[in-house]
Amino acid sequence: MLRSGFDFIGRVTLFGAKALRDAWVPPFEWEYLLKQLYEIGVGSFALVVASGFALGVVMTLHTRSTLVQFGATAEIPVFQSLAFFNEIGPLVAALLMAGRVGAGIGAQLANMRATEQIDAIETLSVNSFKLLVVTRIIACTLMLPLLTTFMDAAGIFGGFLSEHVVSHIGWRLYLERAFDGVVLADFVPPTLKTAVFGYLIATISCYYGYTTNEGSNGVRKAATNSVVVSSLVVILADVILVKCIFFLFPDQAI
Amino acid sequence: MSDNGQTKDDNIAIAFEQVEKGFGGRKILDKVSFSVARGEALCILGRSGTGKSVTLKLMIGLLKADAGKVLVEAEDMASLEEDGLAKVRRKMGYLFQSAALFDSFTLNENLAMPLHRLAPNKSPEEVKRAVEETLREVGLGKDGQKMPNALSGGMQKRAGLARALVLQPQILLVDEPSSGLDRITASEIDSLLMKVKTERHTTMVIVTHDIHGARKIADKFVVLDQGRLLAFGTPEELDKKQDNRLQQFISE
Repeated sequence: MLRSGFDFIGRVTLFGAKALRDAWVPPFEWEYLLKQLYEIGVGSFALVVASGFALGVVMTLHTRSTLVQFGATAEIPVFQSLAFFNEIGPLVAALLMAGRVGAGIGAQLANMRATEQIDAIETLSVNSFKLLVVTRIIACTLMLPLLTTFMDAAGIFGGFLSEHVVSHIGWRLYLERAFDGVVLADFVPPTLKTAVFGYLIATISCYYGYTTNEGSNGVRKAATNSVVVSSLVVILADVILVKCIFFLFPDQAI
Repeated sequence: MSDNGQTKDDNIAIAFEQVEKGFGGRKILDKVSFSVARGEALCILGRSGTGKSVTLKLMIGLLKADAGKVLVEAEDMASLEEDGLAKVRRKMGYLFQSAALFDSFTLNENLAMPLHRLAPNKSPEEVKRAVEETLREVGLGKDGQKMPNALSGGMQKRAGLARALVLQPQILLVDEPSSGLDRITASEIDSLLMKVKTERHTTMVIVTHDIHGARKIADKFVVLDQGRLLAFGTPEELDKKQDNRLQQFISE
């Protein structure tokens, strides 16, 4: 069990490393990369923004009920923005991507393997790994930070609406309070860490889909494993990356 | 063959030399040897599971032989790196049993995909023209904008053939062209293959169960039985052999 676990980690690591290396070797699949950027980025936009908005509303409702006891409701906006910038935005956007994009990548590549489409690409002298895997990994790595930024914005907007209904606070005042004392280091490192999440989600999902050889059963397994394993890995990686951010930006740890 | 693996006979397009291949301890091909001359059509016959499709996949380098040599245009497929393999594959086309069309692309895109990458000197207009001409050749001139799932089984086979031919390969490998098709559609596919053979002088290796179609197209037969080469020769030569097992495979 332990041995097969390490074996799996080794194979996925080599798979991801090969993708990183091949990403810099021409010919570059620009057209297919743009298609993936669109499918992953634009395709996930509505889900991410709607989730961010709903979370923003709910977060404010919960925070208000606690802070009102201490007469600190004026702090709601900054709590909201810091929570979204530091953790909620990056982690929830990554988990949503693992669910939507990870399952999609795993199932699609496994289906292409089962129906010999990947073999067909190889017989046409086209490098299927670069075309199918490298483009998806790059697209996920680039799009997740962007989607996280939209989730943060939607969360803050949801928080504002929720607060506006109760206290009639204006948009400008809410924003002033939300960004009071917030520095660039509160936003940039946690958002950039999602590029690592995107890389991990795509690598794991592509690995399951691209390497399967079990026909239609492989499609089901690849889709399920892609979501389960990449979600788990994202959460574990978050622990490590937060520690790294605290190490590199000690002010964030206070 | 010479020591460096080069075929002495320049007319040989594909050669199998004592090829062995197994999966999970089960031997699929056992010391199989035969060759295909340029411009020749070879049909591989045999029961299901006797390694016919594996033979094709060894020819195009999707699988590697456990022992022996697979030579394509005098290149040993097992010893080639990625670039060398891609170079040899550019001379080959492959029609899969399931057609294996890219299901997220239209037919036009399916055919244009290899052209964009392997013929970068072609202008977009030239690519478009090549795609249209090839689709017209297989009778799908008006279906370029369709997605693969909108096509019947026979149309998918034709589209797969068009994609295999779009780069004008010297060697065409065809896996079960008539499987899952009715008699008339299968006959149409056979006619297309005959046309490719006579007009383009393409070397062809066809895996099939359809002895009727095979007799129309083939210059030679390879008959596989339980992983071994049962017979290799022209249909006339094999017809003369007094081997009941062989006659079961090659009689209509």
